[in-house]
Amino acid sequence: MIRLEDITRRYGDETAVDSLSLEIAEGEVCVLIGPSGCGKTTTLRMINRLIEPTSGHIFVDDRDILSLPAEELRRGLGYVIQSIGLFPHLTVAGNICVVPRLLGWEKSRMVDRVDELLKLVGLDPNAYRDKYPRQLSGGEAQRVGVARALAADPPVLLMDEPFGAVDPLNRERLQSEFARIQRELKKTVIFVTHDIDEAIRLADKIAIMRDGKLQQFDTPEEVLNHPANKFVHDFVGADRALKRLVRVRVEDVMRSPATVLDGADLLTLQVGAGRRRFAYVVEPDGRLIGWVDTLGLDEGSVPEAALTRVVPADASVRPDDSLRDALSRMLGLGFRSIAVTDRNDVLLGEVTFAAVEDAMTEGDEHISNLPPEGAA
Amino acid sequence: MGAFVALAGVTVLPFVELRPNRLVPGNAYSVAAAGPWAYLLWLLVAVGFLSAVAPTARARAASSTASGYGLVIALAWGLGAASTALLVDQTAVARVSLGSGVWVLLAGTAILGFSGGEERRRKLLRWAGPLVLVAGAVIAAFVWGGLDRISLAREFSVRASSFWSLLGGHLAMSGAGLGFGLLLGVPLGLWATRNRHVRAVTLGVTGVIQTVPSLALLGLLIAPLAALGVAVPLLRDLGVRGIGAAPGLIALTLYALLPIVRNTYVGLAEVEPAVIDAGRGMGMSSWQLLWRVEFPLALPLIVEGVRTAAVLLIGITTLTVFAGARNLGILIFEGLGQFAPDLILLGALPVIALAVIADVALSALGRAFTPEGVRA
Repeated sequence: MIRLEDITRRYGDETAVDSLSLEIAEGEVCVLIGPSGCGKTTTLRMINRLIEPTSGHIFVDDRDILSLPAEELRRGLGYVIQSIGLFPHLTVAGNICVVPRLLGWEKSRMVDRVDELLKLVGLDPNAYRDKYPRQLSGGEAQRVGVARALAADPPVLLMDEPFGAVDPLNRERLQSEFARIQRELKKTVIFVTHDIDEAIRLADKIAIMRDGKLQQFDTPEEVLNHPANKFVHDFVGADRALKRLVRVRVEDVMRSPATVLDGADLLTLQVGAGRRRFAYVVEPDGRLIGWVDTLGLDEGSVPEAALTRVVPADASVRPDDSLRDALSRMLGLGFRSIAVTDRNDVLLGEVTFAAVEDAMTEGDEHISNLPPEGAA
Repeated sequence: MGAFVALAGVTVLPFVELRPNRLVPGNAYSVAAAGPWAYLLWLLVAVGFLSAVAPTARARAASSTASGYGLVIALAWGLGAASTALLVDQTAVARVSLGSGVWVLLAGTAILGFSGGEERRRKLLRWAGPLVLVAGAVIAAFVWGGLDRISLAREFSVRASSFWSLLGGHLAMSGAGLGFGLLLGVPLGLWATRNRHVRAVTLGVTGVIQTVPSLALLGLLIAPLAALGVAVPLLRDLGVRGIGAAPGLIALTLYALLPIVRNTYVGLAEVEPAVIDAGRGMGMSSWQLLWRVEFPLALPLIVEGVRTAAVLLIGITTLTVFAGARNLGILIFEGLGQFAPDLILLGALPVIALAVIADVALSALGRAFTPEGVRA
């Protein structure tokens, strides 16, 4: 879909990007990452010709991007930047319609598209359509920025540290919403960031750059498990095992839990819970109430005494959360397993500490093969 | 405050001056010369004092407004009555001139009228109604109240035909200078944002021009323009001579340049770089970016520059008389030459009025051109 062939960009004696070659398949999220000054933003801006390469060729859909006018090329590549750059004199709707207007869309089509996109990025069209950028929070503005980039349904999205300027809480929310939108739309995305966690979370492929040179171009799993050199190894950081957990979703490792119905008598409980010490207690419709510790169930004791009631939102995870979220919940609560519930608090399964451990150590055998620290 | 000033105007200072002819000084008369109108003036000043002590904000605003507008009307009729009374038994060349008390009273009136509330100024309709009423009453004083007998009106009636052509000449001269200033200044300001060297030169040169005294600039232009007119007969036929409209027009255009160039430059340069980057990245051409984004955002500041230039030019236009132009400046300088104070006023008052009207009108235009999304 996008192919960079031996791209070099020089500024005087400085080489910002040094014979870089990349190939990004359709529908893939490719994250360009590296320390500041590594040439990642320059690379991104060469794809939509905001910067021209000194040498080399870039192909989008097997067409050399130099073969069509820069403006026409850019209208087919959605563009999102860290500072967003919404037009302050246009409403949210006006901003979203910039590219459709350049392309000469019908008015009714633009009106429909605005509502569709605002819903997609999680903003209520009636409340936001006619607002001006200065009335938006940072997170809302960036959602509008993403909606604007998607307006004319370009096959490719170029995103330059899109979530870099929002606070950590909003950044996580924007990241998971981006992941959801991407699962739905399957765009080809080039995403620049300096945040390795963001890269591991969102990328299908990670391109790690340093001083204009490509260090490694591979899946997040490969980058974590087989760093190509000392730089990548150090850049990824010592907590590779934890980072790997970001890639695994709860639903991939959850197992079905032992459950009993609320109000069941003690004998049933002991039979039902059987082999396991803990059992989840649920309503007849499946909603989680809490759990019982079977060790606390003696003959004649009151079931209520053994039941620990919980607020499901605080003591469970969702199927599409990452294993790192699950682990952090477990550590926070001090449990060795955690319930998995859906949006309505219905119990779906559980994730155990052992499962998290398995995912963490998987592929760790290579680490002993790395050259020792400082030997590179 | 306004009431105190008005009080000083009607008590301490002379109201009118009766002079044997238009050139020699005469005797001062107090407000009592206005007969019964004097009592109304006193009464209205008293109403003005109410505005300081009235219990509610509404009452304060109402009394200061009523006294402000009322004083203008009573003053017009009072002056008419005073000149009618004083001119009885006088020769045909005797004159009644405005005393210093009238000017002080007018200043107090203005303070009273405007302190009635900033709010009212924004609502044009509520403001315009009383204004039409006051203007009507003043015109009626000319027709039926004897106001046409005061010296200023007599100077006007002597020169009625040339007055209007001089006023027209003034408007044409200032307008043309402003027009050329716009035609040159906006492109220069735009060019300055695109080129560092142009910026240094244009902002520097227009700044230096502003420091040259207007009379000196006119003098400097006469010789080269005269030479040019002699050398190129075609230009001379077009009006390029050392004396006449040409040197004045060139001087006015040069003076208009600084505020227009500077505000155009600042307005365009202040557009956020992220906004430009986003626009280019979405595929807007330089022209589209300029027309749809940069100019709309810079327009309020450009209009502000035009306003500054307009007020400046309306004043400086009077000086172009020295290079042979014909406008209201002629009345002022003839009046100075003859020591005829009322003739000076006949020239100066319309110039002040024009400047105020230009100021108010262009301020309103600037507000109208401010996009809603960037309004404070």
